[in-house]
Amino acid sequence: ATLCFQAFLQMCNLPVRVVCRANAEYMSPSGKLPFIHVGNQVVSELGPIVQFVKAKGHSLSDGLDEVQKAEMKAYMELVNNMLLTAELYLQWCDDVTVEEITHPRYGSPYPWPLNRILSYQKQWEVKRKMKAIGWAGKTLEQVLEDVDQCCQALSQRLGTQPYFFNKQPTELDALVFGHLFTILTTQLITDELSEKVKNYSNLTAFCRRIEQQYFEGHDKDSSTIAARSAKRSLLR
Amino acid sequence: MAAPMELSCWGGDWGLPSLHPESLTVMAYAKFSGAPLTVNTISNSWKAPRGDIPVLISEDNVISQPAKILNFLRKQKYNADYELSAKQGADTLAYIALLEEKLLPALLHTFWIEAENYCSVTKPWFASRIAFPLNLYLPGKMSREALNRILLTKGGPPLCSLTEVEAQIYRDAKECLNLLSKRLGTSQFFFGDTPTTLDAFVFGFLAPIYKVCFPRVQLQEHLKQLPNLCRFCDDILTCYFRLSVSGHSPAGQDTADANLQKLTQLVNKESNLIEKMDDNLRKSPQHPPRKLTTLKLAAGGEGGSPLNRLSP
Repeated sequence: ATLCFQAFLQMCNLPVRVVCRANAEYMSPSGKLPFIHVGNQVVSELGPIVQFVKAKGHSLSDGLDEVQKAEMKAYMELVNNMLLTAELYLQWCDDVTVEEITHPRYGSPYPWPLNRILSYQKQWEVKRKMKAIGWAGKTLEQVLEDVDQCCQALSQRLGTQPYFFNKQPTELDALVFGHLFTILTTQLITDELSEKVKNYSNLTAFCRRIEQQYFEGHDKDSSTIAARSAKRSLLR
Repeated sequence: MAAPMELSCWGGDWGLPSLHPESLTVMAYAKFSGAPLTVNTISNSWKAPRGDIPVLISEDNVISQPAKILNFLRKQKYNADYELSAKQGADTLAYIALLEEKLLPALLHTFWIEAENYCSVTKPWFASRIAFPLNLYLPGKMSREALNRILLTKGGPPLCSLTEVEAQIYRDAKECLNLLSKRLGTSQFFFGDTPTTLDAFVFGFLAPIYKVCFPRVQLQEHLKQLPNLCRFCDDILTCYFRLSVSGHSPAGQDTADANLQKLTQLVNKESNLIEKMDDNLRKSPQHPPRKLTTLKLAAGGEGGSPLNRLSP
């Protein structure tokens, strides 16, 4: 998710510096990561940040008409609904991944036994949420199928265009880039999730294009590495 | 020839074939794609609803969620999306996600959590369709599940109290309705002239909001300000649900017509009577009302003399 914001802010041509903090979740006004700190204002979550940036005069979706804006919102919900939930599922409900990767990663800034307690607590919270929306009964294969369907939809929407709404990047492009790049680069036990995304060549080309265009110019290595380690220690 | 398929779902009222959004979605899709479904509405019998409703039973397959039921129907060659392009198929998925994220929480809230609505409409309606003693337990359980779902998905900080969450979900729902209205524009269905999966989902979510009479109706009022969405619901109801062969809707329509006729006759008679009374009053001299005679007896002296002059 951090990457979505960076991409978005860089698409708006706003300079951004990424800082990693262990207590970032507590510093954020809504408890959710990431958040931006501008002057003496702190804003978190994609929706409010987009509005904040818009109020300051930068907006990526001004060129869209009403129907396109509706479509953009719908696709953003699709990404949130499917990709984000699938990522959460994989991190917290798939036992193998949980044991080997998530627990150590989430608990790493804290001493024993706090690290175990906090990660179990988070796992329990995520499982409750999955149950409420009906994903608890899903097997890994079904989740992967859903991700595949979502990627297929995104791929078909993107087609051969450079961005989702033709020439100009929008919030949707930032969001999709953030999620897909995370899936493609994060190391998990199995590569099935990233394989699903790699099946769609226009999506991988899209990610590479955005990475080159927006992250290479500014100190690419440090920012992407910082972003990746931010995700590692401060799970969304 | 496909095996016979049976759908168990919640029944309807207020002109709808079902009150439950998911059941309505499946029924609408079946009508659009021409799938021959026998619909069994859950009524007061001992076949208590198990698990998720709606449930499709075909031979040995028991399928429960709307998305899975629709997939099954498509595999049986009942496909309403046949003419859609790949991009339109992708759009369908996106809009369905939008509905589930933005509109469903407010719908659940209106039905199951808003205290007045729940106590006066939802609970009695569902309880009357479930057998005792489940009817004491199941509506409460559905309400708790709805609340849980809303709080877990929307209730994270900084929205801590239920009222803030409610305000947010209704804002989202109204925005969603506006977006749907803009997307529909002036066309009859979302993708041209034939209804598709997306139309089934939108209808399933909108029709209960539109038709069910609740005491607290902010979402319904907002929906009524979007005439193209109202027209969309009405069109589907008249075209696809009135002509069903199930037996009750045409009969229902006839009795409704007959009732309407009787009512109009009564109203006409009454208005004639009122006119006559008006005429009589204007023509005749002013008679004092009867009560005053009793007052005269009670009041004593002063009331007496003017009345003596006037009484017939």
